[in-house]
Amino acid sequence: MSGIPRIKVNNYHTFYYQYEFSLLDALEAQNIPAPYSCRGGYCGCCKVKLIEGQVDYIQESLVDLKEDEILTCCCRPQSHIEIELPDD
Amino acid sequence: MSYSTFSPSNHDATREPMFFGRSVNVARYDKQKYPIFEKLIEKQLSFFWRPEEVDLTNDRKDFMDMPEHEKHIFLSNLKYQTLLDSVQGRSPNVAFLPVVSLPELETWFETWAFSETIHSRSYTHIIRNIVTEPSEVFDHIVTNPEIIKRAEAVTRLYDEFIQLVNIYGVHGAGVHMIDGERYDATLYNLKKRLYLTLVSVNVLEAIRFYVSFACSFAFAERALMEGNAKIIKLIARDEALHLTGTQHMLNLMAAGADDPDFKQIAAECEEQVYAIFREAAEQEKDWAEYLFSEGSMIGLNARILGDYVEYITNVRMKALGLTEIFPQRQNPLPWMNGWLVSDNVQVAPQEAEISSYLVGQIDNEVDTDDFDGFDL
Repeated sequence: MSGIPRIKVNNYHTFYYQYEFSLLDALEAQNIPAPYSCRGGYCGCCKVKLIEGQVDYIQESLVDLKEDEILTCCCRPQSHIEIELPDD
Repeated sequence: MSYSTFSPSNHDATREPMFFGRSVNVARYDKQKYPIFEKLIEKQLSFFWRPEEVDLTNDRKDFMDMPEHEKHIFLSNLKYQTLLDSVQGRSPNVAFLPVVSLPELETWFETWAFSETIHSRSYTHIIRNIVTEPSEVFDHIVTNPEIIKRAEAVTRLYDEFIQLVNIYGVHGAGVHMIDGERYDATLYNLKKRLYLTLVSVNVLEAIRFYVSFACSFAFAERALMEGNAKIIKLIARDEALHLTGTQHMLNLMAAGADDPDFKQIAAECEEQVYAIFREAAEQEKDWAEYLFSEGSMIGLNARILGDYVEYITNVRMKALGLTEIFPQRQNPLPWMNGWLVSDNVQVAPQEAEISSYLVGQIDNEVDTDDFDGFDL
């Protein structure tokens, strides 16, 4: 992958990653109301679906995840990605 | 089947189910069936804290200046949390250790229960600091009818399961008549009771604690009882981790790959699981009414707290793949999040308690290009 990762979010705008600490921080910097609670990878509140692309882990996810799910507080984009926030 | 502390059998523990397989013998972690429990242990150890680290001198002043109805809210919550952690400091060990079969899971139970004993010690630390006669608070825990009522619901499934495991340990699997009473200690029924007990533990850590947490943080939002809130923040961080552990166990069971019996049990018990969640949510809402019966506090009343109970119950049920039982709503206490985050920002460890700070962790990997940025 070359260039700056692009992040596409359902129901919100697509933007370029500004190298924040985590994907969650990146979403917050864009004023996208991404859910979170512990920011430590163990509560599971920030779970989203990764539709496309790859992420790097910056801290361990301790929550039971399905194959296409990621915790935004635990990772950052490695390539262009597309994610889906939960409905509520 | 009697429990053996160290059987010389050389079976491979990774082929055992989580529960009711062969007893754990060698506490080894080189091969693990579910490495997630080892990760939870490591996280819990990195969370280690001591209540005495938190200074409570200002809390004493704050408490003395509080109106009576706020003192009631504060002390009642503290009493209830003392009860919950008294239960959790011992029950996971007493109930689950005799029937667990994986070393990493066994150690997780012990690590988990140990951290609850720190919580219990911290309540004594808080109470000692804010009242002159701690006995008045502690003695009331076993006489307050509102607390007793909930204690029964918290401990019932634990006690029934522990009794059955004892019978199973002495008489083996099967239906037994003891003193004219019939006890169904068949493996299937034991597993069913275990599953339900884990659900009730999940409810305890996922919902019951959060009413007290909300009140403690609401005081601190007004810059009152901030030392207490700092301790409760550390407790909340531990509880969120324990909750993850219980959710893992329940989800592994329901998936059926670990032990097919549990898949059937999870399906069979669905109605009872919903009932456990509903009972807990209703009791916590009643508790909120009791807390505010002598008057509300700024920023919080029985209705908002009741809404929060419904919100958090929905969130927890979703985590277990269940359908929400309350109408969907936004978090009625959004400021709670500020208190529930763990500090993962990289600052010097001596400046703050950092959950991700592991003692003795050094990155030993040095590459030639690590020096690229240096100029002489």
